[in-house]
Amino acid sequence: MRLRALALTLFLALLPLLAVTAAEAQNKFRLKPGASGKICLDCHSDFADKLKSKFVHTPVKTGDCAGCHSPHASAHGKLLAASPSAICLTCHPTVVPEKALSGHKVAVEGKCVACHDPHASNNKANLRKTGNALCVSCHKTTGDEIAKVKFKHIPVSNDCLSCHNPHGSDTAAHLLKKPVPALCVECHKPDSPRFASQHVNYPVAKADCASCHNPHGSNTGGILFDTIHPPVASKRCTQCHNAAASSEPFATRRSGFELCRGCHSTMVNETLGKKRIHWPLVEKSGCLNCHEPHASRQKKLLNVAEATLCGQCHQDTVEYQARLAEKAKQEQPTSKARVVKGALTHAPIQEGSCTACHAPHAADGPRLLKNASIVDGCGACHDWLKHNSHPMGEKYVDMRNRNLSVNCLSCHRAHGTGYRYMITFPASTDLCVQCHKQLRR
Amino acid sequence: MPRILSTAGLLVVLLARVVGETTAAEVYRLRYLTAIYLDDKGGGMRQPEGVACNDRSELVVADTGKGRLLRYTVDGQDVKPAGEITAPQLSAPLRVQMSTKGDLFVLDGVQRRIFRFGAKGEPRGYLEPEGVPEPTSIVPRSLKLDRDDNIYVLDVFSARVLVLDPGGKYQRQVPFPKAYGFLSDLAVDIKGTIYLLDSVKAAVYAASKAAKEFAPLATSLRPHLSFPTSLVVDSRGILFLVDEHGSGIVLVAQDGTVLGRQLAMGWTDGLLYYPSQMCLNDKGQVFIADRGNSRVQVFSIVR
Repeated sequence: MRLRALALTLFLALLPLLAVTAAEAQNKFRLKPGASGKICLDCHSDFADKLKSKFVHTPVKTGDCAGCHSPHASAHGKLLAASPSAICLTCHPTVVPEKALSGHKVAVEGKCVACHDPHASNNKANLRKTGNALCVSCHKTTGDEIAKVKFKHIPVSNDCLSCHNPHGSDTAAHLLKKPVPALCVECHKPDSPRFASQHVNYPVAKADCASCHNPHGSNTGGILFDTIHPPVASKRCTQCHNAAASSEPFATRRSGFELCRGCHSTMVNETLGKKRIHWPLVEKSGCLNCHEPHASRQKKLLNVAEATLCGQCHQDTVEYQARLAEKAKQEQPTSKARVVKGALTHAPIQEGSCTACHAPHAADGPRLLKNASIVDGCGACHDWLKHNSHPMGEKYVDMRNRNLSVNCLSCHRAHGTGYRYMITFPASTDLCVQCHKQLRR
Repeated sequence: MPRILSTAGLLVVLLARVVGETTAAEVYRLRYLTAIYLDDKGGGMRQPEGVACNDRSELVVADTGKGRLLRYTVDGQDVKPAGEITAPQLSAPLRVQMSTKGDLFVLDGVQRRIFRFGAKGEPRGYLEPEGVPEPTSIVPRSLKLDRDDNIYVLDVFSARVLVLDPGGKYQRQVPFPKAYGFLSDLAVDIKGTIYLLDSVKAAVYAASKAAKEFAPLATSLRPHLSFPTSLVVDSRGILFLVDEHGSGIVLVAQDGTVLGRQLAMGWTDGLLYYPSQMCLNDKGQVFIADRGNSRVQVFSIVR
């Protein structure tokens, strides 16, 4: 009995000591209170103002700076605990849908801070700016267009997020919340008499609205794209399509270029009379390989901007030009360096104007060059006689090949070569001795 | 013991692969023989785009820039002019093929129709395909003949390959593959397999004689090709692709493996400048319409 009382007394005496040891075991680094965050504010006093913001990032609010930052050292900037592109995903892994059909580039790349303030903001979701102002700070061209257009699409003016998901969409392209036309018919009811009348009773409920309408607004009534095919503008759909009440209303009256020939006979006949045609023109899709049938934001109803359009098929040329442009950029002299003379690339290509030299439909000469004479073609822009006294023209035979005459392309390549002045050899001496062999050393 | 066997097996496989690659690399090399610049009257060619040859040492050149066909006889390196063929229907001959009887089939760039000539050059009118099912509109981009003189037409308007008998009667059609870029040429091997060349995607598709659709043989040869526009297949089934923008010839095996690239861009003999079509004869000679250099060049295949 006495022994039991002694043991109990000893236990009670050691109890505080045990409690201290357990607490020490839990705080093995002997961290000061608030060391995971609150203590940081002792030095980062400027953060006090930030914390007064309306919306504060939860870890910041709970004083958990160590949730994102390593207090001692880090392999990443700002002492982040992981790379800037990965840190947000540790808590927000499903921001971009796993099987997204489209993703916002900055979100996909983990550049969340482009839109969100990682600590606090007076805007909901810690956004850096509110509403469309945030989006147009990057999408400036679109923002300018939206601001300037005569006929505005109200939901767009109100908020880009009326139609777009800011992170990614698992159902549609262009970050749309739903695919077109499902998204459009949420507001525009296809069964309304006005809708039917506007669309000449064609059953467009399942058609691609964005093939005619500019969803961001335009200067044309009905927010149609600014370049409109005249039959569309005048609602003469039957000029190309079957009647609205027919069993196949969208079927065209003829196929390929034969349909377009009905109105554009002069141009099509002239094209078909040339010796070399741009073959896609007589393909199944015909003119639609390059042109929109209804409306376009591009001139001449082109599907996309000229350089992009040509580059869709002539990828080799686009890639080559990109390499040359990069090389030109790298060789760009600093202000104190010697000036490097001679272009590496042809200006019209860099400006996206393939049609400066090439005929897009047909030509009599090879490579669809607009001008049958190379000298005349180049001479349209280059007054070559001013910088060159080399004999050129049909009567001067190329010394390398009796069937060729001397012209600009005897020495230069219009798409560039990787050498200055777009000559075909690294140095002009290498080039000249190809013909003037007696001067070769 | 099994480990030793598997190691030995691996070595054998590796050795076979190395030998195979070496063989493939050595088998096909193009050696320059000669270049043809002139017609029988001493006039030069202008931007010839088509060339056809046969096993009887005959060669026909589509001299596109001058709107005529030029005939030659070939004896080794010796190429002799054998006259020219002209016709009002022939303004810009782009592609030419020769039958086993020496008849000529020429695709004209202005008419975009195939015109026929007899073996002596006598005009035989346009090829009028008979019994072709809907759609009846045809725009040929290219054509080839097989060993039995059946005619294969690459119809870009109706997106199909039409197979006609030597008289032009419809035999069958094979639709173009899905999601193709732009098909510029076709070829037919001795087994009757049809090959299609996609210039935009730098891809080749194949359909065996019994197949009803094309399947990709090589999905993208982009690293090896710039913009191929013409295709021939030899008796062993090796594909020769004429890389027009890259000014070279790329050889591809039946399994889509690239066997190598031959020739390069330039003006002097042995180099190419925007070549457009080539043909092979049974003597292992290769004729290339070197359009940009306004000549036809002759090479031999060296193993």
